[in-house]
Amino acid sequence: MFNIIRYEIQTTMRQAYSWLTPLLFFMIVVTLFPLAIGPDEALLQKMAPGVIWIAALLATLLSIGNLFRADAEEGYLDRMLLSPHPLTLLVLCKVMSHWLTHCLPLILISPLLGFLLHLPPREEYVLIVSLLLGTPVLTLLGAIGAALIVGIRHHGLLLPVLIMPLYVPVLIFGTGALTAAALQQPITGYLAIMGAFMLLCFAFAPLLTGIALRIGVNQ
Amino acid sequence: MALSIHHLAFQRNNKLLFSDISFGLEAGEMLQVRGENGCGKSTLLRILAGYIYPETGRVLWHGKNIFQHLDDYSEAITYLGHQNGLKPHLTVYENLKLAVALSGIKMQSDALKNILHVMKLDQSEKTQAVYLSAGQKRRLALARLQLIPARLWILDEPATALDHAGRHLLADMLKQHLACGGMAIVATHHDSDSGSVIKTLELGSKASIYV
Repeated sequence: MFNIIRYEIQTTMRQAYSWLTPLLFFMIVVTLFPLAIGPDEALLQKMAPGVIWIAALLATLLSIGNLFRADAEEGYLDRMLLSPHPLTLLVLCKVMSHWLTHCLPLILISPLLGFLLHLPPREEYVLIVSLLLGTPVLTLLGAIGAALIVGIRHHGLLLPVLIMPLYVPVLIFGTGALTAAALQQPITGYLAIMGAFMLLCFAFAPLLTGIALRIGVNQ
Repeated sequence: MALSIHHLAFQRNNKLLFSDISFGLEAGEMLQVRGENGCGKSTLLRILAGYIYPETGRVLWHGKNIFQHLDDYSEAITYLGHQNGLKPHLTVYENLKLAVALSGIKMQSDALKNILHVMKLDQSEKTQAVYLSAGQKRRLALARLQLIPARLWILDEPATALDHAGRHLLADMLKQHLACGGMAIVATHHDSDSGSVIKTLELGSKASIYV
C-alpha cells in the first residue's frame, strides 16, 4: 500500500503542471481581491475567510475531475479493478496521494494569503485547522464525482453541478469557524462538525467511488 | 470446465454485436477469437474479464458466475487490452514495481531485472514509460504479464506494435504459460504464427445474421 501511494505521488510530482495549477489558481484568485477591492483593512479582514475558502474549494474542483482520467485512458484503471487489493483501499490510496500533492500545498500557502488579507494570527490558526479538516472532505466527495464522469468524454460543467451541492456544508462550516473566531466566539462546535464530515467521508466515499468506477468501466 | 461460457449475447446502440456464444476452456488450452474490425472481439474480451455485464448469458469460472464472485475471479486472471496499463511518468522499473505492489505479491528485484532482460528492456530501465516507443511499451506490458501469476490470460491484440522478435517472445510466453497449465484467450484479426492454438472462435459471420 505504501508503495502504491509513493508511486502515485511520484507520478504527480513529475508532472509539475498537475499540482502547480491548483496552487497557482488559489494564489491568483486570493491576491486579486485586495487589488480589486482596495486596501480597506477592515473590509478585507471581514472577507478573508470567504475568499480563501471559495478559492480553495474551486482549486480543488479544478484538479479533482482528472483524478481517474489519465488512469482510465492508459488502461491502468482496468488493472486497479483486477487487483486483489480491495478497490476501496486503492481508491483511498489515490485520494490520499491526491490530497498530499494538490491540497496540502494550498494549506501550506494559506497563512501567507491570510496575511495578505490582514487576517489576525488567531484566525490564521483556525484557517489552517479548518482547511486541514475540510479539504479531505472536498477531495473524497470529488473523487465520487470524478469516478462518475470517468466514462464521459466531454463532461464540461457536469462535475461541479454534481458535487457542488455536497461542498456547500463544508464551505458554510469552514467559513463559519473563521467568522466565529473573529467574533471571539467558541469554534470547537464548527470544527467538531467538520471533523465528523471528514470521518463520514473517509468511511463511505471510497466505497461509493469504487462502485462508481465499476459502473464507469462497464460501458 | 475451468471456464465455460453459455449463450452469451451483447448489443450496443440497438445493434446486436454477437449472440449465442458458448464455449469452454480447460487448463492448458488457448482460445483464439477472430473476426473483422468492429465485430465485438474487444467487447467479448472485456465481458470475459468481468468489466462489462453481458445482456444475456453466463460466464462461469469453476462453476461459479464470475459477476457474483468477481474478487475470486480477478485474482485468477490478467487482462491486457489496447492500452498497456502503464503509468507514463514512472520509469520502466518503477512500473514493474508498481505492478508487483498492485498485485500484492512479493518479488525479488533480481526477478524483475531478469524479466526486463528477457524482454530486452534492460537498456531503458530508467526511462519514463512516456518516452518509450509503442513496441517497447507493449514489451513492458508483456513483462508485467509474466511477472504476475494468473491462470487465465485475456489478451486483446497482444502483438500490436511488436517487431518480429517481439512476436516470437510473445509466442514463447504463451507456449510456456499453456505448458504450465495456464489458459489464454487471445483476440486477433490476423493469423497467429504461434502453433499452440487449440480452439478458434470466429465472430462476425454469425452475428451479422441478426444485424
